Amino acid sequence: MESFDVIVVGAGIVGLATAYHAQKSGARVLVLDKGATGYEASSRATGYLSLRGETPEECALAQVAEKLWDELDEELGYPTEWTQKGRLWAAIDDGELAELKATFQSFQATDIGFEFIDAKACRDLIPALTDKTLGGIYTPRAGHANPQRTTQAFAWAFLDRGGEIREHTPVLSVLEKGGAVHGVRTTRGDIHAGTVVLCAASHTTKLLEPLGIVFPLAPVRLEAFVTAPLPPLFEEAFIAHGLAVRQTRRGNIHVNGGPFEWIDVDVTGEPAKPTTPLVRNIAQRLVEVFPVLRKAQMLRSWAGIVDITPDTMTLIHSFDTPRGLVAASASGHGFGMAPAMGVAIADLALQGRTELPIGDLTLDRFASLPGDWRRAWNWQAGNINT
Amino acid sequence: MTSSSVRRIAVVGASDLGCSFALAARQAGHDVTLVDEHPQSLKQMSLDAPYFYGAAIPAAVLNENAIAQVVLESNPEIFECFEAEVDVRVGTIAWGAFRNAPNSAHIGTPKLGLVSQDSNKLLEHDVLVLATGARDFVPSFAGWDLPGVFGVKAGLALLDIYQCYEGKRTLVLGTSPEAVKFTRSALAAGVEIVGMVEPTQHFAAGRLAADEIAGLGVPVLYGRIITAAEGKTAVNGAQLVPTNGSGTVEGLDCDTICIAIGRLPNIELPAAMGCQLRFDASVGSWLPETDAGGMTSAAGVYWLSRFTGGEEQVQAILASIGGDTVAPAAPAESVARADYLQLWVDTLFQTGGSNVMLCQCEDVTRGAFLGLEPPRYLDGQLRHPQTPVTGRCGVPRIHQDQMKRMTRVGMGHCQGKRCRDEAALLLSTRFGIGLESIQPGSYRFPVRPLDLDLIAAGDETPEMRENWLYWPAAPENL
Ligand SMILES: Cc1cc2nc3c(=O)[nH]c(=O)nc-3n(C[C@H](O)[C@H](O)[C@H](O)COP(=O)(O)OP(=O)(O)OC[C@H]3O[C@@H](n4cnc5c(N)ncnc54)[C@H](O)[C@@H]3O)c2cc1C
Repeated sequence: MESFDVIVVGAGIVGLATAYHAQKSGARVLVLDKGATGYEASSRATGYLSLRGETPEECALAQVAEKLWDELDEELGYPTEWTQKGRLWAAIDDGELAELKATFQSFQATDIGFEFIDAKACRDLIPALTDKTLGGIYTPRAGHANPQRTTQAFAWAFLDRGGEIREHTPVLSVLEKGGAVHGVRTTRGDIHAGTVVLCAASHTTKLLEPLGIVFPLAPVRLEAFVTAPLPPLFEEAFIAHGLAVRQTRRGNIHVNGGPFEWIDVDVTGEPAKPTTPLVRNIAQRLVEVFPVLRKAQMLRSWAGIVDITPDTMTLIHSFDTPRGLVAASASGHGFGMAPAMGVAIADLALQGRTELPIGDLTLDRFASLPGDWRRAWNWQAGNINT
Repeated sequence: MTSSSVRRIAVVGASDLGCSFALAARQAGHDVTLVDEHPQSLKQMSLDAPYFYGAAIPAAVLNENAIAQVVLESNPEIFECFEAEVDVRVGTIAWGAFRNAPNSAHIGTPKLGLVSQDSNKLLEHDVLVLATGARDFVPSFAGWDLPGVFGVKAGLALLDIYQCYEGKRTLVLGTSPEAVKFTRSALAAGVEIVGMVEPTQHFAAGRLAADEIAGLGVPVLYGRIITAAEGKTAVNGAQLVPTNGSGTVEGLDCDTICIAIGRLPNIELPAAMGCQLRFDASVGSWLPETDAGGMTSAAGVYWLSRFTGGEEQVQAILASIGGDTVAPAAPAESVARADYLQLWVDTLFQTGGSNVMLCQCEDVTRGAFLGLEPPRYLDGQLRHPQTPVTGRCGVPRIHQDQMKRMTRVGMGHCQGKRCRDEAALLLSTRFGIGLESIQPGSYRFPVRPLDLDLIAAGDETPEMRENWLYWPAAPENL
């Protein structure tokens, strides 16, 4: 049987960042994916690093990520299009303003220095904003990058250091014996490794079930689109009116948001990711926020699937039993977090411990989660926007 | 027909097949809507989808009302449809089609997204018939972005449909049946055809067509290929070289160049809907998988195309809609075009080299594409690029989506319609991987770029507005 030091399941940005750091630390690492590299959520994200003001328990890890982002191009050797120009979350009607003020309370519990700014300050930052803008939460920190390029950059940097990626090789199960993992079973046979890291998004739940482990994730389908390229309008990561909107380096306006659909996934097949007429409504909201975009053209839309934990926070866990098993979920904000998650997960895989601030982010917090949590949360497949 | 067997049928594409199906379905008592994007708005035409008009769209097209009349009059079958009370919607883009499917369970009745200059609708239907026709295949050569270079479908549209062709001396690239058709139409309109360029020694459309062309006095330039369209602001000539490598450059005087090498099926709707596709080596393209009744892998969605068969498809689809089992028809005659497209692309590459712009929208050369170089807006901020071939340890693979994302070839305004097929052919030759093994780049809705204010919909329900979250959030009171 073939043998590696570490097998990482999932060639998304979290798996690739983990593999990169583990390989760089001297381990022999194999990454397996059932599809192509970076073809799922990681290449479909909007591309924000959020500093997680919404969930202050994650702030410390997000700030580690922010530091790593600043040096990522150099570290990996490929451009990620990282743009560190701050983030604005604005309100354009009274209801949104009230909600945003409530949200700001949790932001104030962080040490990041978020500010609540008035309408004029918002429009000074982004002059193209509607004159209905009422105010917003702002930080000069945070930023955004190109998800496709960044994910591929991790993949290439990993290969450059001698790592191996096998695409189109679904992992069917984790091999375990006498309280320790010893590899994985794939559709093309068994592969040995003393350490197995699961970064397979919602599929991780399925892979852990046979080991009697509850790893609570709910998959959800989200929609996005881009316009044709436009001259520069703004560089901030921007949120308003139920949308996340950024302008890419190339000039496209990239938008995502709105009603989402809870789904189920299976272990082997590529999950379907259809788009819906929702893009018409997203377009309407986009034009409401940025009236100047009326004559911009919608170029392509797509959907992506993210894995959400019950409290929407990152989940990283190194298991005592079976030994040699680590699993992680980015809970829908893994693009920005991946540089830090990769370091933390690689540390856990190689040394069993990490200096990074993930103490609040382990599986332990779900010890008393009800077995039917997805039903209780209204997050079962087929539910929409609940 | 009983009222319960009347189906609401949406037909996309008023080609001859599309019209004859719409008529037959209407005569069989169905409730039929026929949609066609022509006459296109100037903005749509300028995006070269589906026809490659290039950078010189005749001024006459600016008068959109006058043009609309001319376009409709050029299609008598559409009038028959009007008269038979088919609900005909011209100037209308079918930009997306939606149905309940895995991981999308809230569409309800199937819907077709329709946008025109003055309407934005989701058309509910029971049956969808895709008769979306063909688009131009336009490989690159130096100067192919100059005003005056266009594809054969665009040329025929300007001559016969829009009736505002402006060329006086046209060079035709290729000797395909479309090239012959174009030549005929152009001569009839008083245009001079300065020659037809053919890289081999054989007339691609066959001996009879070659004789006809000779009879019309049009020179066929055998064993030659174009290396450049010349001119500063518009075409004023072309450079040809012999394909046998003897090297002497020949200059030719012309004001227009018609690329008439072949055409490809418009598969973006079925592809983006997730219908299963198969690679058809004779067509040189992916086509929807269909059963004997013309149904794709999506129930109630039919594919009606000259690339798949002939007139017999009309009755086969009608029978299938009526619930009858349909016996397989004899396979359509193979048109064996793929080889001709590949021959042109290979010869253009051998003679023109790496420095020719492959992607007009994003300004990417063939060499930059094949070398997986980052796009220009990143200003060479990259260490040595990787190879396009993945799966080094197993079966070598190329994924066009990855190529597209990294180089931006196919990511531009034209949605890849100008370059995606040449890109695949180039990859196939360069890396020795069969076209059928190159995972094609995905097609996405909207299948035409659409102004946001045309596609934006104010039909958000109060419930949707109330619950519109920008992101999933954990329930508060748990
Ligand atoms: C529209 C949208 C917008 C987003 N915006 C942002 C944003 O702005 N900022 C942000 O931080 N995050 C954002 N996200 C979320 C972010 O994309 C994800 O959190 C992140 O990409 C997760 O990375 P991953 O590697 O865990 O998962 P994925 O990229 O989904 O990778 C998982 C991989 O595992 C593979 N796999 C699954 N099962 C198996 C198996 N059995 N065997 C082998 N391989 C398997 C899959 O094929 C896949 O390649 C967004 C997501 C979407 C869809």
